[in-house]
Amino acid sequence: MPVQKTILVIDDEPDTLTYFTSLLEDNGYATVSAKNGEEALNCVKVAAPDLITLDITMPEMSGVKFYRTVREDVRWKHIPVVIITGVSENFKDFISSRRQVPPPDGFISKPIDREQFLELVAKLLYAAS
Amino acid sequence: MMMMMMMMMMMMILGRLLVFTSQLHKAICLRYPRCVNCAETERDNMETLYQQYFDALPCYLSVQNRALKVVAANRQFRKDFGDWEGRYCYQVYKHRPEKCEVCPVERSFRDGERHTSEEQVVCLNGSQVSVIVYTTPIKNEQGEIISVMEMSTDITEIKALQKQLSESRHRCRMFFEEVPCFISIQDRDLNIVDANRLHREAFGSFLGCKCYEIYKHRSEECYPCVVRQTFEDGLVHVHEEVVTGKDGKPINVLVHTAPLRTLNGEIDSVIEMSADITRLRELQSQLTSTGLLISSISHGIKGLLNGMDGGIYLVGSGFKSGDTKRLQKGWEIVKRNLERIRSMVLDILYYAKDREPNWAELSAIDLVKEVCEVAEGKAREQNIVFECEIDPVGATFNGDHNALRAALINLLENSLDACRIDRKKDRHCIILRMNSTSEAVCFEVQDNGIGMDRETKEKAFSLFFSSKGAEGTGLGLFVAHKITRAHNGQLRLESAPDIGTKFVLELPRQRRCDTPAEEKPSDMKSY
Repeated sequence: MPVQKTILVIDDEPDTLTYFTSLLEDNGYATVSAKNGEEALNCVKVAAPDLITLDITMPEMSGVKFYRTVREDVRWKHIPVVIITGVSENFKDFISSRRQVPPPDGFISKPIDREQFLELVAKLLYAAS
Repeated sequence: MMMMMMMMMMMMILGRLLVFTSQLHKAICLRYPRCVNCAETERDNMETLYQQYFDALPCYLSVQNRALKVVAANRQFRKDFGDWEGRYCYQVYKHRPEKCEVCPVERSFRDGERHTSEEQVVCLNGSQVSVIVYTTPIKNEQGEIISVMEMSTDITEIKALQKQLSESRHRCRMFFEEVPCFISIQDRDLNIVDANRLHREAFGSFLGCKCYEIYKHRSEECYPCVVRQTFEDGLVHVHEEVVTGKDGKPINVLVHTAPLRTLNGEIDSVIEMSADITRLRELQSQLTSTGLLISSISHGIKGLLNGMDGGIYLVGSGFKSGDTKRLQKGWEIVKRNLERIRSMVLDILYYAKDREPNWAELSAIDLVKEVCEVAEGKAREQNIVFECEIDPVGATFNGDHNALRAALINLLENSLDACRIDRKKDRHCIILRMNSTSEAVCFEVQDNGIGMDRETKEKAFSLFFSSKGAEGTGLGLFVAHKITRAHNGQLRLESAPDIGTKFVLELPRQRRCDTPAEEKPSDMKSY
């Protein structure tokens, strides 16, 4: 039996957290969730997720800052990150335009297309393994 | 400066010549005491030679006695000032009947030192000449001052150039001072080292202070900083900002920066020119700003649609699996997000529509109760304590029911968000208060959420400003403020970081026909 993959869902909107965690769990994944970048960093340390879904615009520690922190740390830089946000897609370029940070592994606009989202998650987890 | 040095050198040469002549005379007499005729001939030759030098010097040279009478003068002097024999220097030089108040010749007689001064003299033909005057005492063999030599050099052209330079500087300064935008010069540490009149009037005189302290009341440099960018790449940068005047009012500015270089080409400082576009922003038509509005709220709407999708997913999957709990949870999410979309659409409507309030007599108690029903449910979902303190006497007042309901809900939603985001307290509480006087009815919304720093507080009512991440559209408080002003009311804000925020919305009970002076434009009067 394959090992269950863990996905960290980061979003400051409680309804979105409920939605994404339910959807992912219904599709066989284990989930942990965080409401901001600071909380998310603790989850990364403790839960060692296989994939991260990240909202960019959050109060306190922003998604951009969290993304850079993860990408610059040798322990976590291999974890695939999918950006899920309502902000325009240009953010994909912006996030990696400074300080030589590589672009995110995936980018999905809100409201999400469930099938596209699940396909991307499966593809990235497969590639990472 | 060059001219002064030349004059000094000439004075030194002349002084030495005088000393040399005197010593030469002594030496001849000592060495050839018996050859008097020969020595006298030699001396005469030398005197003739010095007289030629004296005459040929390209400046005014005169020798004066203690009475300030000219006793000798060179050719140039004679040419420009005429006969001098038996006349006083002030008569010759300045056509004055009495001596000057400050006389460098007199000073040299008094203290035996050399002196310098700048004077205005009058030539024979009546033309005024600016001169720089050097005086040096002439002593006899006993060391007594017997006369003073005065050398004056024509500096009229230099003075004219100096005047031109000074006028040019004055004109430049005047342009700098009077340009109708805020101008400041900043050094590499972002200190304001110079500022024009409009800048001083708007922000106060704070030379030497950091720009971000003055413009934004921040303790840290802004990001991005166009001044910093100009220092780094030497290019002109443009940026739009909201700054705060010394009266606390926000000012929308369009900032241009340009480098100021030294003669070596190094960037010494940066000039920052900010045009006040507050009125432009205020008067911007609703139609032209629709694009900005749509872009600003689009990500908010996307988030809400995503929430709706989530609710629908839970309802669908709960229904399919017969999981009532999941179905219930999904339905709550759908309702919540539907309410949010409704509220956002109303905000957009109040922002976009330019119309007079729909005046009616309202009951303050009924309005508060209605708003409480909406807020209580939302607060409960987020484990926030919600309290309502209503003045039982109640009051009626004139206002637009739907608009004021939206304004109060916006204030309450701001408080709900402020509490939800805050992670530093275990218990959060929002209090809605209502009380009234014979003149006004007052609503207060108080929370113990994250609070606002000074910068956030000052921009809180600005259009499209939000400190709430994805959810903030920057419309809520702007619309609440606009509705309040349309009712000739006041919306005040008290807040401190980590402590909380209190909004005070005060409305006159009777509809006033007059609109405050600063709110005359039509977009301010209506909402």
